[in-house]
Amino acid sequence: MEINKIREALEANVIEGSYGLDASVEHIYASDLMSDVLAFGKPCSILLTGLASRQAVISAHMAEFKGVVFIRGKRPKDGAEKFARDNHLVLLSSDLDMFDACIRIDSAMKGVHIDLPTVKLPQKSDEILLKHEFYIEGSNFANAGMVSTEIKSILKKIGLDPKLVRRVAISTYEGEMNVVMHAKRARVRLGVTPKLIEIEINDEGKGIPDVELAMQEGFTTATEEMRAMGFGSGMGLPNIKRNSDSLNIKSEVGVGTTLKMTFLI
Amino acid sequence: MTTNDLVERLGLKLLSKSEHRAVDGVFISDMVSDVMAGAKSGNLWLTVQTHKSIVPAANLVDVSAIVITSGKTVPQETVDLASKYNIIILSAQLPTFELISKLYGSGLLNK
Repeated sequence: MEINKIREALEANVIEGSYGLDASVEHIYASDLMSDVLAFGKPCSILLTGLASRQAVISAHMAEFKGVVFIRGKRPKDGAEKFARDNHLVLLSSDLDMFDACIRIDSAMKGVHIDLPTVKLPQKSDEILLKHEFYIEGSNFANAGMVSTEIKSILKKIGLDPKLVRRVAISTYEGEMNVVMHAKRARVRLGVTPKLIEIEINDEGKGIPDVELAMQEGFTTATEEMRAMGFGSGMGLPNIKRNSDSLNIKSEVGVGTTLKMTFLI
Repeated sequence: MTTNDLVERLGLKLLSKSEHRAVDGVFISDMVSDVMAGAKSGNLWLTVQTHKSIVPAANLVDVSAIVITSGKTVPQETVDLASKYNIIILSAQLPTFELISKLYGSGLLNK
């Protein structure tokens, strides 16, 4: 199949190699894992990938491919074009996602005309990517830190910046320790949107009589016993404030406290 | 279309001990961050990634199933974790593009 036919089917832009559009490819290989491209890719293929990097182009070249299509509107920014130019590869960029790109090429190969709607990436900043709820038990020092550990591993796994994950983890841990030390129980809500991470810790407990005072470094109501365990040095809330992009505290004495912290992605 | 159709009509193999569910759309990526950003609830997720980190990702975005393509061997710990969280893992011998071609040709996508 002619590369130009693929370009038409994908409504793709040519990033590099317009002279090579009349070349023919025999196979399509769809993957983001370059080790797979090298292991299983057949010569005379075109690579469809979401990996927008020079590495993708080099891998395609090593596997004797004719070109690379970057999907989901991605474009490499690290000198991939030059490598492609020097090695006579065609680089295309399409806004379609991998699934639609595969279907369009498949239909074009079989000579079927289809009119699939172009799928754009969700860009709405308030769209919730993930939501989770956890529970913390007050006075349960054996499990203290488990919720923040869980949240940290979730955020790490979704590939967020480790520095950001660290800030969220530290803040959540401080909040969790406050619950263990001072409250009966709490519900923790984690929410992630493309723009921010929000953690809300809603506890049932004695509440904070003077939030402003509690925010001061060194102010503590922790018992000697808690301090012996290394907690309650009065750094919890200030530390959350330092690590988060915004911190909102609502507290009612005898009812409980709600901490809402936000981290910009 | 349900995940059971994929087993019965397309010959995919069910690896995890999970209940079948309805499929709504398809998402293809081998990058977990892309899945987190782009996949929607109910999507069938096609990938060649077999590391157990795909299970929490699938769980978080609530995909209907993970399909491991290209006949890749899936580590037992990935399968066990998936069973634990009731995430369906299916295995396909075909590479991703060929599997999509077959799936599209089967007409199941419109069911």
